Amino acid sequence: MNHSNYKGVMVYIEQRQGEIQKVSLELLGKGLDLAKELDEKLTCVLLGSHITHLSEELVYHGAEEVYVVDDPSLSHYMTEPYTKALSAVINEHKPDIVLMGATAIGRDLGPRVSARLHTGLTADCTSLEIDPETKNLLMTRPAFGGNIMATIICPDHKPQMSTVRPGVMKKPVRNTSLSGSIRTVEADLSPKDMNVELLEVVKVEKKRINIEEATTLISAGRGIGSKDGVVTIESLASELKGEVSGSRAVIDLGWVDKDRQVGQTGKTVRPNLYVACGISGAIQHVAGMEESEFILAINKNPDAPIFEVADLGIVGDVHKVVNAVVTELKAYKAKNI
Amino acid sequence: MEFGLSKEHQMLRDMLRQFSNSEVQPLAKEVDELERFPIETLPKMAEIGLMGIPFPKMYGGAGGDNLGYAMAVEELSRSCATTGVVLSAHVSLGASPIYEFGTEQQKQKYLVPLAKGQQLGAFGLTEANAGTDASAQQTTAVLDGDHYVINGSKIFITNAEYADTYIVMAMTDKTKGTRGISAFIVEKGTPGFTFGPKEKKLGIRGSATSELIFENVRVPKENLLAKEGHGFKIAMKTLDGGRIGIASQALGIAQGALDATLSYTKERKQFNRPISAFQNTQFMLADMATQVETSRLLVYRAAWLKDMGLPYAKEAAMAKLFASEAAMSVTTKAVQLHGGYGYTREYDVERMMRDAKITEIYEGTSEVQRMVISAAYLK
Repeated sequence: MNHSNYKGVMVYIEQRQGEIQKVSLELLGKGLDLAKELDEKLTCVLLGSHITHLSEELVYHGAEEVYVVDDPSLSHYMTEPYTKALSAVINEHKPDIVLMGATAIGRDLGPRVSARLHTGLTADCTSLEIDPETKNLLMTRPAFGGNIMATIICPDHKPQMSTVRPGVMKKPVRNTSLSGSIRTVEADLSPKDMNVELLEVVKVEKKRINIEEATTLISAGRGIGSKDGVVTIESLASELKGEVSGSRAVIDLGWVDKDRQVGQTGKTVRPNLYVACGISGAIQHVAGMEESEFILAINKNPDAPIFEVADLGIVGDVHKVVNAVVTELKAYKAKNI
Repeated sequence: MEFGLSKEHQMLRDMLRQFSNSEVQPLAKEVDELERFPIETLPKMAEIGLMGIPFPKMYGGAGGDNLGYAMAVEELSRSCATTGVVLSAHVSLGASPIYEFGTEQQKQKYLVPLAKGQQLGAFGLTEANAGTDASAQQTTAVLDGDHYVINGSKIFITNAEYADTYIVMAMTDKTKGTRGISAFIVEKGTPGFTFGPKEKKLGIRGSATSELIFENVRVPKENLLAKEGHGFKIAMKTLDGGRIGIASQALGIAQGALDATLSYTKERKQFNRPISAFQNTQFMLADMATQVETSRLLVYRAAWLKDMGLPYAKEAAMAKLFASEAAMSVTTKAVQLHGGYGYTREYDVERMMRDAKITEIYEGTSEVQRMVISAAYLK
C-alpha cells in the first residue's frame, strides 16, 4: 500500500434530524490539532438529506473542506447507505486519519467502513496523539472495563480510523471569519442500497434509568434529614442529568425506592460522577460505589468515612451546599448556552 | 472440689425448667415464624425475678448470683433462644454496667426499674465500621453546658426499640483513641434518638435487632457512666460478663437440641428398629452429650469465678467460644438425626440450628474469644 497518497484528517460529522451532534464539533477541535501537527488539512464529511446548509457551521469550526453527500436515501441513519457514502468519500479523498464520535451511530458505522476499506479501527478512544517519529496516530482507549489504558497504532493500513468518546475532546471556538470550500460528492446511492426498511422512528421521553447504567448518580443518605430532603437531591440530579440513588438508611426509611439502593445489599455502581449527599460512608455502602470514576462527598461531619474515598469533599450542610451548587450550575449554563 | 449444685440452685433450676416448659416453649415456634418479640413473656419473667436475677435486693434484684443467671439464660434458651437473648442483653449488657459502674443515684434511677423488670435494657457499642474493632467508634458526644450532645448511629442492637434504657458508647475525645470513648445512659424518647427498621435475621428471629440513630441527642451530664474516657473499659468489662450470658444461651440451645434428638431417635423406626439402636446414632448422641456437658462445666465455672470475685475474663471467653461452637455442632447433628423431618419447620431442631450460629458471632466472634484467650496465655 502506498501510504503517501493518504493525507489529512477527516472527521465524520454526525447529524440527527438536521442537527450537528456536539461530539462532531469536539472532533473538529481535536482534528485541527492533529492536522496542524502533521502539517496537513482538516476536512470533514457531512451525510444526510437536505443538510447542505449545515456546512458553513463546520467551516466556522475549523474544517478546510467539507464533503457533502445530500441524498434522500440518507434522510435517516441506516447502516448500508451511510457506509457506502462514507466509504466513497474516503476512497476518493484518501485521508490519513478518519475520526468519528463513539455514539450509537458512530459505533455502528465505524466498523462497517473500516472493514470495507480493509483498515484498522480503534473504538471509543479517549486520547489521540501523533507519534513524533513515525507520524502514526496513537489511539488510546480504556480496556477491560477501564482497568487498563491501551494505546493502539495502525501502521500498515490507511486511513487510521478511530471512534472517540463524546465529551473528552474540546470544541473549537466558533469563528465566522474562517473560510473553506464546500464540495458536493455523488455517492452513487440507489434504492437497492436500502436493505433495511425503516418503519418508524420513535423518540421516547427519557425515563428513569437503572442506576447501574447511570453515568451520574446523586445519592442521598440519612443526612438529608427527611423525605422532603429528596427534592434537593432531585434538583441536583436534574441539573446534572443524573439519577437519584440512596444508601440503605434512606431506602429503609422509604424516602427513596428500593431499586435505587447502592451498597452491598443493593446495587454496585460505577458512574462517572457519584455525589454522596449526607452519606456517612459505612463500608457496606462504600463497597457498592468506590469504583466510581469521581466521588464528591457532602457531609457535615468532617470525620465521616466517606471522605476517605471521595475525590472531592465538602464539609457542610447538605441542603445548603447542594442548593448552592444548583444555583451555580444554573448560572453557568445560562452563560454558556 | 465440689461439682454438685447447691440446694438453692437445684430449686432454682426446677423452677426455671418449669417456667421454660410452660411459658416459653409454647411460644417459641410462633416467635420464630412471625419474627415477633415475645413481649408477653417479660412481665412473667419479672414476676419470678428473672429480670434482675444477679442483682442485690436493695436495687430491685432477686439477690441471686451469676451462676443462677447463667442457668436462667440456659433454661430459657433450651426452649427459645430469642427469649434467652432478651434476658441476656437486658441483664448483662443493659443493667450490669449501671450496677458495676453507676453512681448510687444512677442505680436508683435506672438499675432499680431494670432489675425489677419494669423496664428493659440494651447496649449500644457496635457501629457499621466498628464491629470486632470496637475502638473505631465514630459516634461522638460533645459537652454543651450541662448536656452531652450525641451524634452517630449504632447497629445490630439487641432489644432495640423495646428497651427503655440504653448504654451507649461515644467518642468524647477522638485524639485519645480508646481512652477517648465514654459511656452514657440514654433513655428512649430523648429527642433525636430514633430507630432503624428491624434487621431480618437467619435465627433468633423474634429478638428485636435494630439500628439506633442519634441526631443531636441531648443527654444530661449526670448520665455519663463513670468518667469521661472510661467507656472502652466499661464496654470490655461488660462484654466479659455478657459472654457468660451468650455461652449460657449456646448451652441451652445445644441442650434443647440434644433433648429433642434423644426422644426422636427413640421413637423413629427404620429397618424395624428405633434409629437409636444404630451405633451411628448412639455415637453421635454420645458426642453431642459430651459437647453439652463440657460446655456446661466451662459456663458454670466462669459464672462461679465471677461470683467469687475472681478474674473470669479468660474463662468467660473459653466458655463462650466452646459452647457456641458446640451448639453449632450439636444442632447440626440434631437436624441430621431427624433426617428429612429435621429440615422442616414442623420440628424444632432446624430453628435451633439457625439460632445457634449467632452465638459464634455476637458479643465477640469466636475469633475475638481466641484473641482474648491466647493473649491471656501469651502475656
